[in-house]
Amino acid sequence: MSARSEMRVPVWHYDGQSGVRQARELVVAAQGFFLSGAGGETGPFAFADLIPHGRTDGYPQYGLRKMPGWRIGFTDAPPAELAGLLPGKRGYGRLIDKVGLWPAVGVFVALSAVILWLLVTTPPMLVRMIPQSIEKQWGAAMIGDFGGRTCTAATGTAALAKLAGRLGARDMDVRVVDVPIVNAVTLPGGHIMLFSGLLDEAESPDEIAGILAHEMGHVRNRDVLESLVRQLGLSMVLAGADGSVGGYTNALLSASYSRATEARADGFALDRLHAVAIPTAATAGFFRRLAKVEMSLGGAGALLGYMSSHPLSAERMRLFEQGARPGTTASLDANEWTALRGICSQRAAAKERGFQF
Amino acid sequence: MEEQASGARAFEFHGTWREFAPIAFTNLLLTIVTLGIYSFWARTRERQYLWGQTRFIDDRLEWTGTGGELLIGYIIALVVFGIPLGALNFVVQALAMQGHDGGAALLIIVIYLALFFLFGVAVFRALRYRLSRTFWHGIRGGSDAQGFGYGLTHLWKTWVGGMALGLMVPWAMTGLWNQRWNAMSFGPHAFTSDADWRPVMGRYLLYYLAPILLVGGGVVFAAMFAPTRAQGTREEVMQSIAVAAAIGYFIFFVVLGLIAIVFYAAYFREVVSNLSLADLDFRFEARTWDWFKLMIGNFFLVVLTLGIGFIFVGYRNWAFFIRHMNAFGTLDLDSFTQSTTRRPGQGEGLLDAFDVGAF
Repeated sequence: MSARSEMRVPVWHYDGQSGVRQARELVVAAQGFFLSGAGGETGPFAFADLIPHGRTDGYPQYGLRKMPGWRIGFTDAPPAELAGLLPGKRGYGRLIDKVGLWPAVGVFVALSAVILWLLVTTPPMLVRMIPQSIEKQWGAAMIGDFGGRTCTAATGTAALAKLAGRLGARDMDVRVVDVPIVNAVTLPGGHIMLFSGLLDEAESPDEIAGILAHEMGHVRNRDVLESLVRQLGLSMVLAGADGSVGGYTNALLSASYSRATEARADGFALDRLHAVAIPTAATAGFFRRLAKVEMSLGGAGALLGYMSSHPLSAERMRLFEQGARPGTTASLDANEWTALRGICSQRAAAKERGFQF
Repeated sequence: MEEQASGARAFEFHGTWREFAPIAFTNLLLTIVTLGIYSFWARTRERQYLWGQTRFIDDRLEWTGTGGELLIGYIIALVVFGIPLGALNFVVQALAMQGHDGGAALLIIVIYLALFFLFGVAVFRALRYRLSRTFWHGIRGGSDAQGFGYGLTHLWKTWVGGMALGLMVPWAMTGLWNQRWNAMSFGPHAFTSDADWRPVMGRYLLYYLAPILLVGGGVVFAAMFAPTRAQGTREEVMQSIAVAAAIGYFIFFVVLGLIAIVFYAAYFREVVSNLSLADLDFRFEARTWDWFKLMIGNFFLVVLTLGIGFIFVGYRNWAFFIRHMNAFGTLDLDSFTQSTTRRPGQGEGLLDAFDVGAF
């Protein structure tokens, strides 16, 4: 100890108060070290409070905990005896330096895998814990009267009710809204909306029956709520990821899960159509026409199918074609079909609106 | 004791690719395996290296920020601004679905204004944070302002700048730069900035008029090829039109991008060269061609490495910035005392939330 207490090593020093660089000597003492120079002695300081601050001209420099701006730096390699007391060089971060880079990478990979696995598996469990009544309230809040765009022609509504009834969707809110896009959506709480563009595009009521049955699958499986919960979780966790890494992971994970739920809803639709003896061939025809549109996009079709949220239409067409069985009856007769297609000749009374856009 | 910033360049960058590469690659690895959370520490390590390899007059800069600070700043920004904005977005959708279009539109306008305000605050606070974590001679920078006033100016100046068909954008940009830097200080000295919009207006007009000239030129070009219609089949004509449109589109954006560099080079020279700290006057000396080389270099660096080269872009940008920075004048070190500005507790979270780059 006595030898150490006499060790004096020249350092440069900033005290953090003035910008003038001072020449000092670092004096090692039993309780740490002092800095001595023309202006007297400061200290004692603990070696444990030193923070490595990289190197200047090859020699290390240090800051001091809780003393911003305080610096010492060596002008030569510190003697071995002193070097043992100085903290090591600045690394990857406190936690990682403790265990080493590669063990840390291993731990992080394992943890990330667990987190991602939880994120994609817990939403169904969470969703089961949300009561149906609350889901209904959310759905009702979202949908309202859909801005007076709900189609309400009497004979069309009767035809729609008959179709929904036959498929077993009496407890769901099935409606047609006057929006010219070829699609249907399901909102939380059993609200199914068929867009009028779909009715215009469909060639038979059985096509509508197939699509309605598919949406019923989403309602029964509570898919919408599940995907909302999953999306929320994914975006929260991956939000920290810098730009692209998080974005790609998020897109890939959610796309693959939504493909799985779409395939499940297709399975449900097929079972439902069989149960109530509605032909499935018409739905296959609908997907055939969609597939043609996708084919015209060329080789990108396969890639699109892989990345997109729904299975490729050609695949779905085969599913419904192979599912065709004898002894079925059309879902609606010609008159009812005409009525359904004309359902948008009347719409729910629109509310007063501020301005339209 | 006086420090003279003349003769040798006031700023010098000592970094090398070989030294930086291990930092960049381990940063990338750790960022991926932590689902991005390490990016805050990655940024800190990168800055520690870049600052530490930068000499100003007689001593190196030091970056003293930490990854923890950046993470906390990010979480605060997410909770205080991100979640409410997300919720409001949901309300907008619900309002629109229920047919309250007026209410939805009003809310969208409010959100839009709030975002402009917050963006200004974010830029200001990020600059303040960076100065407060940058040390030189053991002395740091900072600001006493919180940035809310700057946020308001950002809101209305961006608005006014965009009016008059965008002709007042240079005026808004230089005005905001001045306001931002005049609120900053280093040690005991305040920065002063008096950049003028007039010197950069000429180049801005070039940028502004280029699309019109390009479209006009494109029409003339197309007209010259029109006679082929007489010989070719309908499909051939359609094909040649498609090819011409693709080429035109490409030229449009490449040329516009080049002219944007022409403007930005002049803008950056103007604003930095009118910045001073006590008796030190700063100067930025990169010409358009230098910026062009930087951009092209970054582009090929990223493209030829299939994106991995992205991890070196920050290094290149910093090296470019320092190599073209200069300063003249003197700094009295005896009166160069520690900054008395409040040291902000957390990092540039709000700016992260907007996903904006460093400079």
